[in-house]
Amino acid sequence: MSRKIDRRTFFERSAVSSAGLFLGGMVAGCSVKKSEGISDYDVMAEVMRYRKIDAHEHVDLYSGGPEVQIDFADRLGIERLVVSKPVTTQTGTPDEFREANDHILKAMKLYPDRIMGQVTLNPQYLKESMEEIKRCVDQGMVGIKVYYQVKINDPLFYPIIEKSIDLKMLILMHANCQLGMAGYRMKYDTHLNPNTSLPEDFVEAAKRYPEAMLQYAHTGGGGDWEYACKSFRDYPNIYVDTSGSNNEGNMIDFALEYLGEDRLFFGTDTSYYQGVGDVLASELNEVQRKKIFFENYNAVLRKGGRDVA
Amino acid sequence: MLLDINASVGHWPFQHYNYNTCLSLLDRMNKYGVDISVISNLNGVFYKNTQSANEELFSEISSDTRFKDRFIAFGIINPIYAGWRDDLSVCSSKFGFRGVRLYPLYHDYELIDPLCIELVRAARDAGMVVAFTLRIVDSRPRSWMDIQKEWALKDIIPIIRAVPDAKFMILNVANSTELTDDEAALIMNSDVLLDTSGRAISNLGELLKKFGNNKFAFGTHSPVLDYVSGRLRIESLRASEADEATRELIRSGNARRVLGI
Repeated sequence: MSRKIDRRTFFERSAVSSAGLFLGGMVAGCSVKKSEGISDYDVMAEVMRYRKIDAHEHVDLYSGGPEVQIDFADRLGIERLVVSKPVTTQTGTPDEFREANDHILKAMKLYPDRIMGQVTLNPQYLKESMEEIKRCVDQGMVGIKVYYQVKINDPLFYPIIEKSIDLKMLILMHANCQLGMAGYRMKYDTHLNPNTSLPEDFVEAAKRYPEAMLQYAHTGGGGDWEYACKSFRDYPNIYVDTSGSNNEGNMIDFALEYLGEDRLFFGTDTSYYQGVGDVLASELNEVQRKKIFFENYNAVLRKGGRDVA
Repeated sequence: MLLDINASVGHWPFQHYNYNTCLSLLDRMNKYGVDISVISNLNGVFYKNTQSANEELFSEISSDTRFKDRFIAFGIINPIYAGWRDDLSVCSSKFGFRGVRLYPLYHDYELIDPLCIELVRAARDAGMVVAFTLRIVDSRPRSWMDIQKEWALKDIIPIIRAVPDAKFMILNVANSTELTDDEAALIMNSDVLLDTSGRAISNLGELLKKFGNNKFAFGTHSPVLDYVSGRLRIESLRASEADEATRELIRSGNARRVLGI
């Protein structure tokens, strides 16, 4: 089957051969002609048409060092990657988050025109976290990425959020929303960390700090994105990134309906094809695609003078 | 040309999906340049009597002359429900369906239940393809009424081993593709296709090296998953990973071979 065959030739041949194949005369006989309205959609041309900032990316976490991320970014025309290396242990000691941030600083130096870093920390170690913010921001990091050691609405987080407001920086918080993790469905134990931030936790933090910019992580990351987007409708300082492996067909359009076109960020969280594919398969118009792929995140960066030219 | 081996119409009871009718899917296909889609009716996952869903699908495809040349229908059969042998025969001989999709996790039987093995043999003898889906939806955000279990590629091996001369499609490869050498050899020596919609097809270039050029086929898992990612995995391959002939096999050639069209 290595011989090339074009669409027209195939249909012309199979229109003849299929006649004897289907009893009852049913099912695809393949006599379609190109002129019937099938577009010559060039998916890679579409991919490369848009500037992109990946708002949720990691290095040295799931799938290798920055060269792996850059390789996928090159394939899919992703210009900038906002990367972090969150500490995924419950302890999240200063030694652990400093080491994680060192990985990011190294990646930033390796790819200064591609990788933008986010500092990770643990509010349980406030003094060390504040020092780490200074150390990393001084070296060019552009945001804060936090995990599940402390919920986003915990009072321990207040000084961190206040610092992010001072710096005009976004906080990207790991999040989840599924059976046992939100709403009334707490009777299920899905073995997730109980300190994981839920949509309700984001709402509480957003109400307390309306000038903060909070990014709800990976709507496609295994959480109930309908639940999350509905929760965030009235809170303009909560943004969502569309990263994650669960690239459900109408996630982007649903998010647009509930959150509008200015609060959605394109992201991958290492699910590169899904991150790009989901946006291209959506019903977004041209302006909205540009916003989600690039401009929305760049607008946030611009508030702190860190935007991409 | 593009032949999508993993699309569906019909209703998913726990969540709204768009493009889940033949007409709306056809519009989708036209917009994104997909020539033919293999479809079944999602309702059959939930009906106790799956033949009602197959009848619905036959009726829908018959309702518009544009459909018959663009869709290849697969039935959904439950081998532990009465009358399945007749249902299979009707799907094949009257409806002209080219294959069946089986859902043991939803229909509550073991993959190597003797009746399932009998069904796969009967499909083989009728010249039909047998398709298994590793998961329909991601179990993490599932409804409290949905099933929790998902399969890995390895979980399908027993039925291939039981009927190695059948033709198989393994859809939405969302979980591990790790296999023992023996299991990998079985896949490579059988007529098995994996579609490109699943998240575990994260590095198709490497998988082509592992399984060969004739084991993959374009798939979308529409309407559950987005319509573009399955194609991106193919079209973003570098020339060093897949030449144009290999891409064409994945776009449609391998599917045409297995479907016999």
